[in-house]
Amino acid sequence: MTLPTDVRVGLAAAALFVALPFAGLGDYWLYTLTIGFYYAILAASWSLLVGYVGRISFAQAAMSGLGAYTSVMTVLGLGWPVPLALVVGAAIAGALGLFIGWLSLRLHGPYLGLTTIAFAEILRIAVTAEHQWTRGSLGLSAAPLIDGATRPVLYFVALAVLIATVALLWAILRTRIGLFFQAIREDEEGAASLGVQVTLWKVVAFALSTAVAGLGGGLYAHVVGLISPTMMSLQEMGYVLAMAVIGGFHNIIYSALGGVLLQVLLEYLREIGEWRLAIFGLITILILRFAPNGLFGTLAALGAALRGRS
Amino acid sequence: MSGIALVEQALNGLVIGSFYALTALGLSIIFGVLKIVNFAHGEFYMIGGYIYYLALAALGLPPVAGVVVAALGLVVLGGLVEWSLIRPVYTDKVDRPDEYAIMITFGLAILLQNLMLSLYGPWPLRPAPIFRGRVEIGELIISGDRLAAAAAAVVLIAVVLVILRATWAGKAVRAVSQNRKAAEVLGVNVGRTALLAFGLGAALAGAAGALIGPVFNVTPIMGIIPVVKAYVVVVLGGLGSIWGALAGGLILGQVEVFATVLIPDTSRALAYKDAYGLAVLVLVLLVRPQGLFGERRRLA
Repeated sequence: MTLPTDVRVGLAAAALFVALPFAGLGDYWLYTLTIGFYYAILAASWSLLVGYVGRISFAQAAMSGLGAYTSVMTVLGLGWPVPLALVVGAAIAGALGLFIGWLSLRLHGPYLGLTTIAFAEILRIAVTAEHQWTRGSLGLSAAPLIDGATRPVLYFVALAVLIATVALLWAILRTRIGLFFQAIREDEEGAASLGVQVTLWKVVAFALSTAVAGLGGGLYAHVVGLISPTMMSLQEMGYVLAMAVIGGFHNIIYSALGGVLLQVLLEYLREIGEWRLAIFGLITILILRFAPNGLFGTLAALGAALRGRS
Repeated sequence: MSGIALVEQALNGLVIGSFYALTALGLSIIFGVLKIVNFAHGEFYMIGGYIYYLALAALGLPPVAGVVVAALGLVVLGGLVEWSLIRPVYTDKVDRPDEYAIMITFGLAILLQNLMLSLYGPWPLRPAPIFRGRVEIGELIISGDRLAAAAAAVVLIAVVLVILRATWAGKAVRAVSQNRKAAEVLGVNVGRTALLAFGLGAALAGAAGALIGPVFNVTPIMGIIPVVKAYVVVVLGGLGSIWGALAGGLILGQVEVFATVLIPDTSRALAYKDAYGLAVLVLVLLVRPQGLFGERRRLA
């Protein structure tokens, strides 16, 4: 049995990431990759919504922040263990996503974009304003993911969460649900006429996507140890969009790889300062315009074409 | 609240509202013709601020000429963007034009923001305003730079309204806004009109940035908050509606000023100032997506 190209690419990348610490990669780069895994989760969750269901959202970074703050405050306020708090963060983000998805059912395209921007900004403003709980823009310290864990341990935990999340999403997308999603993307009324419960699956997609973002945010919080409302900003959302688009937002595996790739490049090109973000913006535009399947999607198609010819 | 304070707040709201209206007008013209929200509008506004600053600092132009140069510069930039990136939306070159337009303008916003951050750094620049000093009307004291910027905004809006009403190009913009197919059948060149609308919308954003930049500050992120306000304004007035953008701007100006004053806990009131409009945006889209003045249409 041959596996689909995207799965083979994903497995190869996963094998590489598992091998890197054993090949002697230093703590600094392991930490960079760990943050990259967070962005990968975010980019994958966003592309689930945009690439598969065709529903645009600008609330992904805000939802990640919601998951992060919920998780950190659950540990601080209720004294729950971190893994449980992560689940609570994901559940709250998913619940709000369910609500927003239900509210905005009838909205499409730019209208949906504006609605999700509004929700994202309201969330960010509320987290900044309620400083008696969140310490506002000063930031909130988070309990460590695992007490006394070294960088390599955190790296493997984050990698495991990323792989588990992407595998779960991939498995869901492979069932009939994935087909429902794509049917909604291609033609909502047509799908409904063929018996797809459009309302249900649109809301489910929103909730699933935001829950994964919330989980990612919680993971980030407990890895980094400090969160602030900037992680919910529209600029941050822009980077997630750039990562998913550059990787290939029609495929969760490719967009996840886009997240890791961009984060690594961001660190690697540190000396050119903000130019790297300008360049990423430019690449995002060029890819959208000329290679909408993204870097990995285009490469995969190219590879398939070459093999077909030989 | 005393009578004079009430008038002062109302006047403040009017000044801010005119800024909002000017920024939102361009967004609305672009949406009317192209049926896309330009998510890089705030960055056009920001570039306008920088062009104004450079026109004054490097070329030594007078402020009014600086505003004109900023507007012209944005006509060129807007035209280039429309021609290179937006055109595929309506020539069936891309799969899903709605999502493409949203993402490409958002990507453009990232590019422009970080380009200016790289070129000029995050430091706020403060070019000279059109008019300095204070204006006193009886007991009322208003800072002159704001009042002058608001007056210039009103003049600009009036000019645009005349262009839209009286010129052939303006009529083409309105015709395509109302019914693209019918306009095309009657001989309007839709591609050229789209280019025109995008250039005009960008020019309005640039002029707004040039006028308001000196009042607040010119920074790479100066466009983020005003453009979110502009989203609120155009949604409130009805996406694509010219009068809606103007009325929405004035309404939001008053709402923000008075909502802030009326809430007793001042620090919290200020912190949530930017959220009122967003709540209005969500409410309008859910209850009355066509806004106050927009036409009812399918929202697909």
